Amino acid sequence: MRRKTGTLLEREGTRTVAASLISILIGLVVGSILIVIVGLISPNLGPSSIGDGIRLVLFGIVSTGRNAAGVLTWGFNPQNIGNMLFRATPLILTGLSVAVAFKTGLFNIGAPGQYLMGTMATLAIALGIPANAMPKPLLWLLAFLGGILAGALWGCIPGIVKAFLNINEVLACIMTNWIAANIVTWFFDATKVFQNTVENTKTSYIYKTTYGKTLVDGVWTYVEGNGVSTAKLGLDKLFPGSQVNGGFLIAILFAVGVYILMTKTTLGYQLKACGANRHSARYAGINDKRNIILSMAIAGALSGAGAALYYLAGNTEFFWSTYQSLPAIGFNGIPVALLAANNPIAVVFTGIFMSMLNIVGQQLRNLTAYNEYITDVIISVIVYLSAFSLVIKMFLTRRSKKGKETEPTPVKAAVPAAEPTAETVTAEPEVEGEEGGDKA
Amino acid sequence: MEGENIIEMLHITKEFPGIIANDDITLQLRKGEIHALLGENGAGKSTLMSVLFGLYQPEKGIIKKNGEEVKIHSPNDATALGIGMVHQHFKLIDVFTVLDNIVLGAETTKLGFLQKKEARKKVEELSQRYGMKVDLDAKVEDITVGMQQRVEILKMLYRDNEILIFDEPTAVLTPQEIDELMATMKEFAKEGKSILFISHKLNEIMAVADRVTVLRKGKLVGTVNTKDTDKQSLSNMMVGRPVQLEVHKEPAKPGEVVLDVEGFSVPAKGHHKKDAVRDVSFQVRSGEIVCIAGIDGNGQTEFIHGLTGLDKAAGKVKLCGRDISHASIRERGENMSHIPEDRHKHGLVLDFTLEQNLVLQRFRETEFQHGGFIDQKAVRQYAEKLIDQYDVRSGQGPVTVARSMSGGNQQKAIIAREVDRNKPLVVAVQPTRGLDVGAIEYIHAQLVKERDAGKAILLVSLELDEVMSLSDRILVMYEGEIVGELDPKETTVQELGLYMAGAKRMNGKEGESA
Repeated sequence: MRRKTGTLLEREGTRTVAASLISILIGLVVGSILIVIVGLISPNLGPSSIGDGIRLVLFGIVSTGRNAAGVLTWGFNPQNIGNMLFRATPLILTGLSVAVAFKTGLFNIGAPGQYLMGTMATLAIALGIPANAMPKPLLWLLAFLGGILAGALWGCIPGIVKAFLNINEVLACIMTNWIAANIVTWFFDATKVFQNTVENTKTSYIYKTTYGKTLVDGVWTYVEGNGVSTAKLGLDKLFPGSQVNGGFLIAILFAVGVYILMTKTTLGYQLKACGANRHSARYAGINDKRNIILSMAIAGALSGAGAALYYLAGNTEFFWSTYQSLPAIGFNGIPVALLAANNPIAVVFTGIFMSMLNIVGQQLRNLTAYNEYITDVIISVIVYLSAFSLVIKMFLTRRSKKGKETEPTPVKAAVPAAEPTAETVTAEPEVEGEEGGDKA
Repeated sequence: MEGENIIEMLHITKEFPGIIANDDITLQLRKGEIHALLGENGAGKSTLMSVLFGLYQPEKGIIKKNGEEVKIHSPNDATALGIGMVHQHFKLIDVFTVLDNIVLGAETTKLGFLQKKEARKKVEELSQRYGMKVDLDAKVEDITVGMQQRVEILKMLYRDNEILIFDEPTAVLTPQEIDELMATMKEFAKEGKSILFISHKLNEIMAVADRVTVLRKGKLVGTVNTKDTDKQSLSNMMVGRPVQLEVHKEPAKPGEVVLDVEGFSVPAKGHHKKDAVRDVSFQVRSGEIVCIAGIDGNGQTEFIHGLTGLDKAAGKVKLCGRDISHASIRERGENMSHIPEDRHKHGLVLDFTLEQNLVLQRFRETEFQHGGFIDQKAVRQYAEKLIDQYDVRSGQGPVTVARSMSGGNQQKAIIAREVDRNKPLVVAVQPTRGLDVGAIEYIHAQLVKERDAGKAILLVSLELDEVMSLSDRILVMYEGEIVGELDPKETTVQELGLYMAGAKRMNGKEGESA
């Protein structure tokens, strides 16, 4: 038995998965500890609430509410699961965006900016083109491709700056993020027409894409139901009452596509070669500058696609005055990619997992006196630890070595990018402190 | 010097998965001797030294110092026992000054404040006593490799180490620096320090060592006195079969001009005003090996980077009759293969597998891809063929990560790739640097074979032996200019040395005919 674990642990892939699972587990444990502490200090939460809270944190996705006796009930909850898949859709795509860049040696922290630019282009096209100017599927496709293109172009900028001026892409990405935030705010502020004035309770929101630009009595107005939204493709039957739509399947297709691109094609080979060693790629006649730009463009396109799918859903509204904040979905692509160890297929699962936590938060708010922010803490612990999954992996490597005296696997290479590793190293003592603090 | 044993490593066995790196090896180091450790790449020299230095723990065997058993669990233990090591790849901090690097880890402090003055005095004394010139206030990144090595040596002396391990110390040095190092090592031995000297350069071993321990494939072959042996028998011991130390080749039969370089200049990097390469003109014909000789840093690297397109250059280059002065690296690669100087920076993508590295240029060819999709099967087959044909050894064959391979096999992989691309011009820059006799023999034979197959070969080498034995024509480069063209059959090492040092130069660029 011991030997079996030994050989299993020696496999690179096993260790990667184990490291991610450990990160997740620690995150959930910390969340549970938090529930206990909050439960103990607040007067309106008793021991039973603490029990409910912990159970919801761990299994909230299969909770079906409370029965007449006020006891939590469990089972298949199609609405929750459907919503989970719906929210996973953009996360999977921003996760892919970050993973592709990592694989090619770049740290794409620019996903929020690319996501915003994608949002702007998608909404401008979906809402700007008159509803009867073309068939709706075509309009949908146009808006989708517009989002992709806008993301790709925005991703190019840090790539170009990196390729020609050798400026670190992280810096350029952070700057382009805020530039995007301001451009988008300015655009919707200046154009005015896209602002939702029909549903009066809402301010600073853009029309849902279900509204179509229609000529009524010689005046362009937005008419509900005249616009476009992503086809449900039967998923609404499977998960009744949820927001899920075909976009989720498109996200999976993208993940498979990225996987094929990176492992099977000459383009992927070149991109990875540039990422792993720019000098030897150049030596071999591979155009390193082109590949850096291309890699960032692909990353941007994926983020843009994520935005397009989210806002084309028809039930989502965009808050346009975004100049002070960046979309979390963009940043959450980083932990999604890290937890998945940059494997495009694994990104689908880690994306779903991250959105599950989101749903769990809702359940916590709806069914207990806890608020949903506890899941934010869990997410942030996992985010924190996901940067560490490398350290955990190293630890596992060492453990298995101690058992069998393995050859020191020649430092399994500068992993994806320099940045997360550096972050990992400097951040280490902090987290230990934090854990200790929670236990105390 | 028949002294008592200061260090004894008895019956050391160290295993790694799938390989026994050291199999029952016994090595005894006497006080005041220079003891060479000889073996091919992968023979277990470095593992044995790492055991002594506390980096690895052996499965079996004991280490004794002055007859008493000691346990060495970490380099700190080794330092405490007076064991110091100069690693093949220096362990210096580039942005620290020389002095800071020397005292790092052994700082003298008062109330937590550094006492640099005392340290400086001690280092200055040491460097004067052994005639090792270093600039204490220069940053390591700004000093030459030779000086970096002196810094490493001073580090050991500063810690009062009496057992000094040198791991292939001459691999990175110029001939002059090697001579200096040899003299320093003898000086140390005279003072009673004991030296372990890892090398596979027979000349150096014969010149400085008192005794030699030879390892082969993890096993001890024997320990002999240098005065009772010679180069040939040592190399036979090391390789396990008679080795050809001299390159055997027929006279060259030069054919068409393949490479024609005219008025070639390369601007210097940084703020130097002078060009690194100035107005170089020469030709290389098919069926000949032309060698650019010179002391390291005289523009050879810049010239090759300019020629292969890695850096910008001015002047005219014709390859196979085509003007490639402004061509991209890829276009140049159509008629040129390049064995680069720095196999880690340029030659390989270290995190790629061996098979991925073997198609680094060829992945675009229709043999290996269809419509943009890589034909993994074809790549695997091709890799297996090359591995077999060029005897590239690695742990897991085609899927071995290049980083985990030994230096010699990495180089063999590059040579296999470049030779098999079958281009009219082969540019080989220090193709045998850091390799052992067996591998050098092999690589030399390959280059001669390529020459005889009608390739034009442009060789850059710092090793005089290699220059003299391998080339058909020698061009000497000094301060970025070609200062002489020599025929290896008619010239001597001494004359070549004078050209290399800039003491002599030929008038008129075109000297003799090929």
